[in-house]
Amino acid sequence: MLRTILSRLGRALSVGFWVMVISFSIMRIIPGDPAAARLGGVEQDAIEVLRKELNLDGSIMQQFSTYIVGLLKGDLGVSLQTGRSVTDIIGSTLPLTVYLIIFSTFFAFVLSIPLGTAIAWSGRASIVYSFRVITSIILAIPNFFIAMIGILIFTVRVNWSPVFGYEPQFPQNLKYLWLPVLVNTIIMISVISRVLFSSVVETKEEEFVETGIIRGVGRRKFFWFYILKPSLAPTVVLLSYMMGAMLGATVILETIFTLPGIGRELVNAVLTSDYPVVQGILLIFGVLTVLLSFIGDIVAYVLDRRVKI
Amino acid sequence: MRNRIIGFKEWLSLPGGFGILTGSVMLGVIILLGIIIPNFGPYKSDAFVGDPFLPPSRNHPFGLDQLGRDVMTRTFSSVGVDLGVAFLGVSIPLIIGTIIGILLGLAKNRHVANLVGSIIDGINAFPLLIIAVAMLTFLGTGLKNVVIILAISNWARYARISRTRAVVVSKQNYIEASKTLGYSRKRIILKHIAPNVSSETVAYALSDFILVIVVVSGLSFLGLATQPPMAEWGSMIADGRAFISISWWLVIFPGLALCWSAISLSFIVEGISRRDRGN
Repeated sequence: MLRTILSRLGRALSVGFWVMVISFSIMRIIPGDPAAARLGGVEQDAIEVLRKELNLDGSIMQQFSTYIVGLLKGDLGVSLQTGRSVTDIIGSTLPLTVYLIIFSTFFAFVLSIPLGTAIAWSGRASIVYSFRVITSIILAIPNFFIAMIGILIFTVRVNWSPVFGYEPQFPQNLKYLWLPVLVNTIIMISVISRVLFSSVVETKEEEFVETGIIRGVGRRKFFWFYILKPSLAPTVVLLSYMMGAMLGATVILETIFTLPGIGRELVNAVLTSDYPVVQGILLIFGVLTVLLSFIGDIVAYVLDRRVKI
Repeated sequence: MRNRIIGFKEWLSLPGGFGILTGSVMLGVIILLGIIIPNFGPYKSDAFVGDPFLPPSRNHPFGLDQLGRDVMTRTFSSVGVDLGVAFLGVSIPLIIGTIIGILLGLAKNRHVANLVGSIIDGINAFPLLIIAVAMLTFLGTGLKNVVIILAISNWARYARISRTRAVVVSKQNYIEASKTLGYSRKRIILKHIAPNVSSETVAYALSDFILVIVVVSGLSFLGLATQPPMAEWGSMIADGRAFISISWWLVIFPGLALCWSAISLSFIVEGISRRDRGN
């Protein structure tokens, strides 16, 4: 078991290394000089200063080692727009995004378990069919359109959610957060319950389930040990993948709901060509996704040793 | 007998037949409307034809936007833009990724193959929208750049699928048989491995099409893909957002067209996967 986990960790670290290389090189592989592009046609001196600030002078290996040394010290550079350190910006905007994702995932998971198992258990063709159609429709709708419909209903028709702004204090912030969380939850329920549904259907066919019935295991124990636990592994893997995908989706969601999370920070940085911020946030997104999928695979493996990770 | 010719009714009664049919009809309808309305309709997509914010009426079934342009014409002239960009954004990575994947799967040098494999995993670690947004910062916004960026970042997903598949296929008996028969390596790759690998990547491409439509419209929703006055669903929704409390039609109609396209594709994908599973 330890060997499996360690080898999975090794893979996570190697992917993590490439994530770092990619976020380092994204500013450098694109033709043209980012420093000159940002400043426009000004004198060479200013461009040189900016090149130095962006760690674009010297050979590529020198730049890379400067980058790595900075990373190890927790230094991701300084915003060109505000002069704040990128680490600081990430530290102040990431928590909101993480809360958003954790709450949506939690609600979606809690609601999907009864939904997915009940539909798999019912086995009625008409229910299964409409479940499939409805979830595939929801999954095809872009999150910003679901959000727009939410705004149209809850902000324009009934005034339950404010249009703009955000207050960071605890009870007040719920007023701003519940609608984006709802949008995320609806999307995640559709994915999670679908996968849970198909894995419960598969689990039902396994021989040990029949054994459980024959042995007359108590209802609660039967449901947990014989049905849910073996079905959860694929769901957990998907869940960790979906949380990564949600990170991407929050870019749009936070822009719509004007929430000061890391996604909106990225969009602002892109619009103002704030290269160090873009580079730093890209790295964080990559690292978080690698971390999430590592955790997801390990949890799945612990739940069901037959899982290949 | 996979290739037996069967009647339409029999085809429809097979698993997923109804989904494939519904999806194809829906997709066909919106593509047709996307050709007819902008070209033969009464209005131009960027012409000012009446009072701003005119609600839906008989002359303008989808109403007019904030500048007095016909929302219906704009909604349907976006079909070509969105589906076209998404088509390029799927087919270019599909071709590049499949080829790279096959080469990696068959590569004799394991070290190089593993190295490229972990770079691919590194690229795939980023959510597609995030890496696209980040690259647009440096490449500059615009539809052409969106296609380039999708090509640069999305091929890795195809390469991964293709590589795994190529490894499996190359171990099959019929490949051994072809080798024994003395066929050239080139012939084996082109005639035997490539078709078997690409069936898998093409299947993924169909479902990826939905994701890419959403990413393209998402990028232009963020103001990173299209320039005004070009009509595009994402940017129309973004423009309409400011006026959502007075004129819902600016957001709803382009959004419905976007959903219609994505849902039609998703019915096709669902139908095909049910047919493959056989239930």
